[in-house]
Amino acid sequence: MTEPRPKIVGFCCERHGMDAVVLAARSGKQFEVSVRLVQVPCTGRVDGMHILRSLEEGADAVFVLGCLEKNCYYDTGSIEGRKRVGYVKQMLSELGLEKERVEMFNAASSNSWVFPEIVAKMVEVVRKFGPVGGEKR
Amino acid sequence: MNAKIQVVLCKCCSEMPKLLNIARLEKLASESGNVLSVMTLDGLCDGKELTQIVAEARAKEIDRAIVLACQKKDVSPALIKAYRRAGVNEYLVGIVNIREEVVLPHTAEPERAQTKAETKLLAAIARSRLLQPLERSSEDMKTRNVVIVGGGVAGQAAAREAAKYGVHTIILEKTGKSITAPGVVMPRARLIGGKGYGGNFELRIKVGESVEDLGAASIVVASGGGWATLKGALAKTVKGALPLYEFYQKLQLDQVPAGTVVFMDTPDPAGKTLKVQDFAWDDTLETAIELKKKRPDTAVFVVFQEMRASGLSELAYKEAAEIGVKFVRYDRSATPKVDPKDPTVLTVKDLSQGEVLKIKLGAMVFASIPASQDNQIIAEALRIPMSPDGGIRRGSIQRGPVSTPKPGVFVCGSALFPKSRDVAAAEGEAAGKMAGEFAARGSIEYGGIVAQVTQEKCSACLTCVRTCPYEAPFIGTATKAEIRVQACQGCGMCVGICPSKAIELLNYTDDQIMTESKTLLGGDF
Repeated sequence: MTEPRPKIVGFCCERHGMDAVVLAARSGKQFEVSVRLVQVPCTGRVDGMHILRSLEEGADAVFVLGCLEKNCYYDTGSIEGRKRVGYVKQMLSELGLEKERVEMFNAASSNSWVFPEIVAKMVEVVRKFGPVGGEKR
Repeated sequence: MNAKIQVVLCKCCSEMPKLLNIARLEKLASESGNVLSVMTLDGLCDGKELTQIVAEARAKEIDRAIVLACQKKDVSPALIKAYRRAGVNEYLVGIVNIREEVVLPHTAEPERAQTKAETKLLAAIARSRLLQPLERSSEDMKTRNVVIVGGGVAGQAAAREAAKYGVHTIILEKTGKSITAPGVVMPRARLIGGKGYGGNFELRIKVGESVEDLGAASIVVASGGGWATLKGALAKTVKGALPLYEFYQKLQLDQVPAGTVVFMDTPDPAGKTLKVQDFAWDDTLETAIELKKKRPDTAVFVVFQEMRASGLSELAYKEAAEIGVKFVRYDRSATPKVDPKDPTVLTVKDLSQGEVLKIKLGAMVFASIPASQDNQIIAEALRIPMSPDGGIRRGSIQRGPVSTPKPGVFVCGSALFPKSRDVAAAEGEAAGKMAGEFAARGSIEYGGIVAQVTQEKCSACLTCVRTCPYEAPFIGTATKAEIRVQACQGCGMCVGICPSKAIELLNYTDDQIMTESKTLLGGDF
């Protein structure tokens, strides 16, 4: 039997975040197929509910990718995004889930190597902890 | 709800068929609900095939579209124009980035990539059904004023460039010095307050002792550096400490004191009070060369941590070394010191030679300029962020190097961080062009993807008002939050943070985002 495929959801801002993904792809980087990117205008738009609902619907890990904090298109957007992710992390540990499953990342649109690294990191997290809910699921 | 969706598959110049099975994607699209037309094109960026899309969209009375192509930015402008001709609202055109998200990065696994592409298509269709048409509106600017705060090198350059756009430039200069620049120059004028948004600012200025109101379409902040103040440990101990510009003036008038001259980057080498990392190196080198040429007998030292002369000024570095200017590099572990008991000797460890030098000081000149103290007032008046060094912080580089996060407010010169005259002038020109172009538009476009408040749910907690960097939300007369649509940039920060879930971002509603993520999670790849 093959290893179950990790399901990773990424909420990605339309500005530097998406540009980093596009640049990674255009510079020939390969990454894990099972990443599902959802575009949001800014990581500040991401709500804790979006992340929790994704986990509920079968995601094993969720990441949020925004601009660098000092270079955010919407000034404080990625800082807000990070706060939101921190809030969800706290909630997860109270629920008894591993808080590493949710992570916030920042990227500049000129960094082609960042996105594949992020994906590799999240895949590693899923390998370590297994699917959400473990064997019960 | 009767959505009529058109799905357009772009082959991206035959990149897509190499990995994906187009026929299967077409079949899947045509089998899903609400999809009336499926087209496959060779390349959207070409533009030749746009007429086909328009014809098809008109024939089938399409009202929304999904395009599987590459990055949104690259396809959108021409395509959206084409769809507008066909009567499709521009906000109902969804672009799925199939090239960069599936085709390019997953070449090794075609089977999984195919499933991913199919799932992405389904998610886009599911989301598209939930979208609603949005309109943009425009508002006329009340004035064509470009207000330039500061009449220094950068401010004057900005005024010259902005005037070329046929706008009315107004320079606010806090001192009474005479300035030759087009437009109005207001001496002894300061910016003390302001409100409004890009295109229609209402500023409050203080001219002499009277307070006046001034309308502005766009603003250039060129407040310069804090030339008069020199902070830091070394500046306090050494008696003859000067900022670079003052030394330059003295050099022109031949009033330079005799003895060794040391040019140094910052009066606070340990970096406790001054964190400024960019210094006016171009000007330092120029002044050092001039000094050495005028007085070949004077020993001239340049003490630095990191030398960043920009562009061709690198050549000045070489020239300076050739005519005998001595360069001493230090680092933070062994910072240059002046003993307070004997404040005429500078002790510095030369990194390249490894020896400790004791330099008898004649004059000590600092390239670093502290940030202007007016920045605080200006930043508060315009509500733009400041950098930790006390300068004005520029916005994301994607908005442009002289833009602040606030549309319509531009910043240039030493207001950002200390820099040489040439660079300041160049930045001034850039900011002037941007501001002039902005004001010359004559009207501001707004609307589209903006936040919207459901007032019944609002409890007027002010969270959105505090979060928004653009001051779009405000508490209206009904003591409920309202959105100033002209100022809204559509980032959705207030939406994510609203504790009562009273705000929605049009076309990025919770429902739409979660439908997309749910459909994406439904696929097995």
